[in-house]
Amino acid sequence: MTSKFLELKGLHKKFGQITALNNVSLDVSKGEVIFIIGPSGCGKSTLLRTVNWLTPPDKGEVWLEGNIVGSLSSKLTIGESKLLNNFRARMGMVFQQFNVWPHLNVLENVVRAQTVVAKRNKAEAESKALKILDEVGLSEKIEQWPDHLSGGQKQRLAIARALAMDPILMLLDEPTSALDPELIGEVLSVLKRLVNNGMTMLIVTHELGFASKFGDRLIFMDGGEIIEEGIPEKILSMPKTPRLKMFLEKLNITSFKH
Amino acid sequence: MLEYQIFFDYAPMILLGFWLTLKIVVCAIALGIPLGLLLALGRRSNFIIISFLSTSFIEVFRNTPFIIQVFLFYYVLPFYGLRLPAEYVGTLALAAFGSAYFAEIIRAGIDAVPKGQLESARAIGMTDWQAMKNVILPQTLSIVIPPLTNQTLSLIKESAILSTITVHELTMTGLMVQGETFRPFEVFIMVALLYWALNETIATIMRKFEKNIKKSRDTGPKNNSSTALKHGENTR
Repeated sequence: MTSKFLELKGLHKKFGQITALNNVSLDVSKGEVIFIIGPSGCGKSTLLRTVNWLTPPDKGEVWLEGNIVGSLSSKLTIGESKLLNNFRARMGMVFQQFNVWPHLNVLENVVRAQTVVAKRNKAEAESKALKILDEVGLSEKIEQWPDHLSGGQKQRLAIARALAMDPILMLLDEPTSALDPELIGEVLSVLKRLVNNGMTMLIVTHELGFASKFGDRLIFMDGGEIIEEGIPEKILSMPKTPRLKMFLEKLNITSFKH
Repeated sequence: MLEYQIFFDYAPMILLGFWLTLKIVVCAIALGIPLGLLLALGRRSNFIIISFLSTSFIEVFRNTPFIIQVFLFYYVLPFYGLRLPAEYVGTLALAAFGSAYFAEIIRAGIDAVPKGQLESARAIGMTDWQAMKNVILPQTLSIVIPPLTNQTLSLIKESAILSTITVHELTMTGLMVQGETFRPFEVFIMVALLYWALNETIATIMRKFEKNIKKSRDTGPKNNSSTALKHGENTR
């Protein structure tokens, strides 16, 4: 049972000529923290986006807690899209570009989906939002507009917005890649807390240090395939495939330049 | 040179025409903007029939002269048993014509909202409509106010064409008064001034409205703040 928390089965996805996913399968246990790395265009973001069907795959299945997510038919029935929306609400997604809602203040950003999707009443949603905003360190900013927040604050807001829905799984697509270096730490420390709380997470990232410290598993993708996977420290210190070796060497070269 | 007496003698009649223009325009806009919104959403719909019908409607009304549309409404509707007073027909024609333009403005406004906004709304479990209503359309509003205002002003000017189907609006009244007085200069100055005053008023109101939206995002919201503060103080 525990090993079948999230299952990705034979996912395929093509964008025109480009193969983003080529027969990718993955089993994720509850509470597992999985980091996904790879060169740009390797399909790692696509993999994350197929999990909540934001990018429906061409072939393959996603199972969450024994239930199938999404459907391959190009038009979902009303029942199917309702189910899908239920799954999505329980899979918190965090984007590289934050995608906070600029027309709503900080508090309302965290309240809105709770009232609209989870049908909580406003008072309940607000008290939950305030609690979570406090946890991510934004309790001083509840009346601010997102445009007035720093990148790190925006990303913490985006995480809070997802957490307010009581997700059982978090999908994070390069959550720190759009941030100035000095702002990365504050987002990572929020993620650390999630790891410590036992949240199941799939994280696409370039933060190898963070991945090796907090990841249960590291996945290296290239050309739409999983090339290597295993315990982060092991994989990073002793890459088996030349492709991963090359990728890590490139990353090291760029990090020396800093 | 100018016969000032005409201004006084015919002002009541002209104002009556202005009043009808005002009523027609307000109704046409009140019908046209919601219809435009529906058409804009319809055009983006996944249902092929709905998007085809919406697109056809928009393209037909955008690409034919308004005066022809007015004639069609006026002369063709009775053939199908729909006998309406001329001012009703005119209002409907104006609303239909305006809605096609409103639709395109709203569609452009929706497209101008970054793609990530819709994605984040869908990813959190909102339906397409919930995402539109809660995330996309509110952001569209501040984008579309200037072009919607422009379109409203030109719709008011287009309403003069309704004089051709015997609607006794401002232009028609002007023509009648000029027929009685043979003083085109005085009469059409009055008419022009009234159109100008109406448009200028609307433009000013919309500029204020636009500023208010922008300002509210700089200083923080007024309506939400009381409850938010209360809760905020409780947590500290």
